[in-house]
Formats: sequence, C-alpha cells, structure tokens
Amino acid sequence: MNGGWRAWLRLFAVQGTWNYERMLGVGMGYSAEPLLEDLKTVDPVRHTEAVVRSAEFFNCNPNLAGLALGATARAEYDGVPGAHIARLRTALCSPLGAMGDQLFWAGLVPLLVGATLVGVVLGAHWWAVLGFLAVYNLARVATGAWSLRTGLDAGTKVGSAIAESWIPRAIERVGPAAGFAVGLAIPLVGGWYLEDLGWPAAFGALAVAATGVAVTRWFGASLTTVRFTLLGLALLVVFRWVLP
Amino acid sequence: MTDLSPSTAILLLLWGTVVGLDLVSVPQAMFARPVVAGAVAGWLAGDLEAGLRVGVLFELFALDVLPVGAVRYPDYGPATVAATALAAGSPWQFALGVSAALGLVLAVLGGFSLQMVRRANTRAIQRRSAALAAGESGAIRELQYGSLGRDAGRAAGLTALGLAGAWLLAEPAAHLDRSTGLGLTLVAMGCALSAVIGGALRSAGRGGRRLHWLGAGALVGLLAAALR
Repeated sequence: MNGGWRAWLRLFAVQGTWNYERMLGVGMGYSAEPLLEDLKTVDPVRHTEAVVRSAEFFNCNPNLAGLALGATARAEYDGVPGAHIARLRTALCSPLGAMGDQLFWAGLVPLLVGATLVGVVLGAHWWAVLGFLAVYNLARVATGAWSLRTGLDAGTKVGSAIAESWIPRAIERVGPAAGFAVGLAIPLVGGWYLEDLGWPAAFGALAVAATGVAVTRWFGASLTTVRFTLLGLALLVVFRWVLP
Repeated sequence: MTDLSPSTAILLLLWGTVVGLDLVSVPQAMFARPVVAGAVAGWLAGDLEAGLRVGVLFELFALDVLPVGAVRYPDYGPATVAATALAAGSPWQFALGVSAALGLVLAVLGGFSLQMVRRANTRAIQRRSAALAAGESGAIRELQYGSLGRDAGRAAGLTALGLAGAWLLAEPAAHLDRSTGLGLTLVAMGCALSAVIGGALRSAGRGGRRLHWLGAGALVGLLAAALR
C-alpha cells in the first residue's frame, strides 16, 4: 500500500469540511484517497465501496484520526467485510475523541500555553512564542505519523494497539502537568499586568475577577465570561457617560 | 492605533486569514492561539509589546475554551489581530480595554461565522450526496477544497471587519479620557483572570490530582510573582 506520506499530509486538513452531518467524514475520505489508490487496480469494485465508506460519518480528535484512517485502510486491503469496517469506524469515534481531547485540548495545549505565558511574563517574549510553536508542532507531527503507522500496522486490532501504547500513560501525566502550568501562569500574568498600575487598580481588577468567577459559576452557561466581560465594559462606559 | 500603511493592513489581513483557517480547518498548528496571533500581529504593526499584551489577555479567555465535538466557541484569532491593530502605538494601560471590547465582539461573531460555514458545508455535501454514494473521489476533493475556501473567506471577512472596526474606533479611543481607558482595561483584565480561573477550576474537577497540581502551581506562581 502506497500513499502513506500524502495521506499523512492530508490529515493536517482532516477538519477542512467539518459539518453537522458527517463531521470529519469528508476530511477522512480526502485523507484516505492516496491510501486507497492501489486498491483501484487490484479490485475496482472494492475500491469504490471503500471510497464511499471512507467519507461517511466520523468524528474524533483530529490528532488521533490517523489511527482510524490507517486501521480502516488496512482492513479494506485485507478484505474485511464492509459492515465490519463500518462498525470499526463507529467504534473508534468515542475513544479516539475522548483520548485525543484529554491528551491535546485538555492536556498538552494548556500545559504549553501556560508555560508560554510564564515565558512571556518573565521576558522571553518571541522565544516563548516560538518555543511553544516548535514543541507543540513537533509533538503533533510525531503523534500524527505514529497514529497513521500504528493504524496501518494494526488494522482491525487497532483497539489493542491503542490500549498497549503510550497514550493512556501520557494522558495520566499530562493533565496534572497542565494544571500546574496554568496555576503557575495565573498569578504571574496577573502580576505582569497589575504591577505598573498601583494597589488600588490591582485591588479593583482582582475584585472584578472574583466577582466574575462567582457570577459565571452561579449563572452557568447563560452568562459566559465573554458575556460578563462585555456587560462589565458596557456598564462602565454608561456609568462614565452618566457621571462624567 | 498607529496609522497603518496599506501594506501593513494587507499583511494583517493575510495573517488574520491564516489564523482563522488554522483554528479548525488547516493546519491546526496553533497559529490561532491568541498569544501567537497577537505577537505576530504586534510585530507586523510595529508594536510587539501591544501584541503580547493583547495576545496574553485573549489567551486567558481562550484557556476557558475546550473545543470538543460540535461545541460553539468564540474565534479569538482574527479578533486578537484586530484588537492588536487598535492597541498598537498607544500606552497599553489605556488602550487594552477598548481593544478587548472590539476583540470580544469580533470573537463572538467569529463563533457564529464558524457555524454558518459548517451549515454551508452540510448543504454542499447534501448537494453532492449522489456523487458521494457513487464513490467519486473527485467529489470528495471538490467538497474539501470548497470548504477550505469558505473558511478562508470567513476568516478574511472577519479580519477585514475587525480592521475596519479598529480604524473606526481609533479616533474615539484616542480621545477617551485616561480614567475611562484605565477603567476599561481593569475590567477587561479582571474578567480575563476570572475566565482562566473559572476554566482551570472546571477542568480540574473536584478533589482530583489535577486540582492539587493547579493549587501547587498557583502557590509557586504567587511566590514567583512576589519575588519579581
């Protein structure tokens, strides 16, 4: 099976056709195209069926989509029945979504962003930003390549391959590290903004912060922090306008 | 706001488009993170400090977002670019609040525009459903490129709207009295801190390991902030 590199590159745009009907489905079909090309010469009918299946509904974290892509492409070449491949695809949605979201969106991203904010505040400026981009993209590119390779190697046994891989252990470790990094960043960033403004201004901003945490927790989804902020800014402008 | 030359405005528009595309479509390289978008926008506008101040502020809001499934969330990337354009060249203490207001409105509009693009993608798929059912690879490619084009258009439009807003607000913001400017900055900073604290507490849950590490980090951060 050829086309691995092209499929890996196309995975960077796997969310390109994100929609409420097939979610990542069409993006998966686009990424699968190079992998399925060889099937066209071997079994054209099977190739057409495989292309149809590749673009059906699918959703997971984009950084782990390669596992499902590789596993289903391998299954197509192995002659696994179509219904079985469709079930495999459906079965992979939730675990790959949950693990990828914990690993990346709730783990690696807040960890690295927290470290970047600390770096900016401590004077690293550009270097902190460039370091963030370099480390994140190295991790993301390596994970994408590993995912696709593992999926292609494991085929329908991809579930066992994931369970025995580094991912579950990494998820356990990255969450607390992200918590520490964000916790570290909050007082440093607060101090960075408030140090030039004097104690009364700092006290005012911290009072707004405490009110914001309490009010947005109390009202839940109906009063997000963005709405609370816009409300606060508007109230201040009106207040200054009425009482110049 | 620094008077932006046409070439700088075009560069900011291009950067905003890249940043908007990066959020979901391609390549998700984290250019859309406000701290990145703001730093580059500040550099392009000739005021890196403004870019970092705006970028870090919006990053605090963005850390409250968990972009899972079909959840709707603000698009902070083009918003940060426009807010940086407005803040560039002014003392950040007085410009940050007005810039934050512009950026947050734009971020909310960005969230709605993402939904519109996703609905348009759905309609495009429904129009090509027969070709998809027939296994035509060409149809998949067309849908993919069409969707990427729609998102690029969305990001460019959003950034252009933001830059126009920055241009319109530049004059009133320059004449804003200092106490109002400072007050707006303090409200924006306080709210940004509430966003990141609230988000961190929600992510940590109750009594888990993550909550303990969050607390430990905050203690070390407080100590480091006091020693600075």
